[in-house]
Amino acid sequence: MEKVCVLGAGSTKYGKLTESIADITTQASISAIESAGIDPKEIKAGYISNVFGVADKQVHLGPVLMSNLGISDKPSLSIESACGSGSVAFREAFANVAAGFYDCLVVTGVEKVTHTGTEWTTTYFAYCSDFFYEGQAGASFPGLFASMARAYLTEFNTTEEDFARVAVKNHNNGLLNPKAHLQKKITIDDVMNSAVVASPLKLYDCCPFSDGASSVVLCSEKFAKEHGNDYIEVIGSGRGGSPAALQGREHMTTIPSTKIASEAAYKMAGITAKDIDFAEVHDCFTIAEIVDTEDLGFFEKGKGVQAVREGRTNLNSDISINPSGGLKSKGHPIGATGIGQVVEVFDQLTGKAGARTVKDAKIGLTHNFGATGASCAVHVFQSV
Amino acid sequence: MTIKEQLIENAKQGKVLAHKCTSCGLLHLSTVYFCQKCGSKGFEDAILDGTGSVATYTIITVAPAGFEKYTPYAFVVLQLDKTDLRISGFMAGIATPADLPVGTRAKITGFDERGIIIEKQ
Repeated sequence: MEKVCVLGAGSTKYGKLTESIADITTQASISAIESAGIDPKEIKAGYISNVFGVADKQVHLGPVLMSNLGISDKPSLSIESACGSGSVAFREAFANVAAGFYDCLVVTGVEKVTHTGTEWTTTYFAYCSDFFYEGQAGASFPGLFASMARAYLTEFNTTEEDFARVAVKNHNNGLLNPKAHLQKKITIDDVMNSAVVASPLKLYDCCPFSDGASSVVLCSEKFAKEHGNDYIEVIGSGRGGSPAALQGREHMTTIPSTKIASEAAYKMAGITAKDIDFAEVHDCFTIAEIVDTEDLGFFEKGKGVQAVREGRTNLNSDISINPSGGLKSKGHPIGATGIGQVVEVFDQLTGKAGARTVKDAKIGLTHNFGATGASCAVHVFQSV
Repeated sequence: MTIKEQLIENAKQGKVLAHKCTSCGLLHLSTVYFCQKCGSKGFEDAILDGTGSVATYTIITVAPAGFEKYTPYAFVVLQLDKTDLRISGFMAGIATPADLPVGTRAKITGFDERGIIIEKQ
């Protein structure tokens, strides 16, 4: 297996964007290619992650991107795995470089939905659930995570204020990220007093619907060394699955796919959870970050909430969780999110993270899932 | 009738059509075609009472299209009696968490455009 490296990375700002989905896909890809210091003609194929291209009248984005990059003869494909599309596309690109099929790829995630409004997005995002049992019965995505939150509140010594602390922390980090969607300091009271979306989750427990695109250039170690720019190494890659509907999970406060994917990634990397310096985890809702940090092995089940209370997941504390601001503050353009996490890790490990730099970080992790964690991918990166 | 149509007809009678693995005995919802435990495709029908207790739930105030007129309502995960199976559905008329503590006794009472309908017992 070839060693695989991230040679370049870039994102558009996340938020409400006016350009078309094709334009932001191209902008993010060009910034990744420029960051890599390569010529587009050195790219052998393109991987696109996107869910709702139909909302901006453009699906089959791959050939549009490749044409815009002047490499219309190069193959491309699009991958959809709900909110986990980005990390799943990254994994497939990783596997193709590792297998020696390609020595240099561009992987770009994108979403453009804010112009459709809250009802459209709430309705269409629910199609990512096990629709017969969940979406059809009126479950929104906030509703499904609220069901996990209710189970967590019932099972463990937790309050809704504890969930709010996750939002406050991630907004603090997002304030240091110029590309974050919600750059706003908030308090626990702000979260507690915000409108209920799906009890017990309130508006500020939820990530925003965002537009945005993120892109990375992935290549073999040999290619990276020959090109000389800063790069990081992908040392672990794992994927896992969970029952599509919450009802099928043995515990509703655990996401099985996260455990399976992270154990596989740690095994490939030859490390344990204790070796991770910082992590970008899938905090689509505040409860999700708490569950994630337990399932990833950072804290025991039921103790993740205690860690948040004690500030152990703050920037430059025991383990910096979501230094970028996470989905909660940086934003969640669903097809882009998994790639955006890799962009953050690249920036952190190559000294480009500015005021939100995790000090002395050597090993970073990305964790991104689709729906309520029905599909998941975890990657581990190391500075070179 | 397809299996899903049979599941719906049973729900309208307050029942759950389940599949029992003929190799290892594990119960599944009838929309599963291979045993999660042993991989066998051999199933026999098991008709369960649609009664149980609320395993978890949420009260939805920002609803997907078509559900605005029902807000606030609950989405409920029901733990079925005497089995490890759970099934999800729609419950009308729930406004605050005090209306539906986890563990509340509930039952399936129908199926319509809101999916499986669950009511408090």
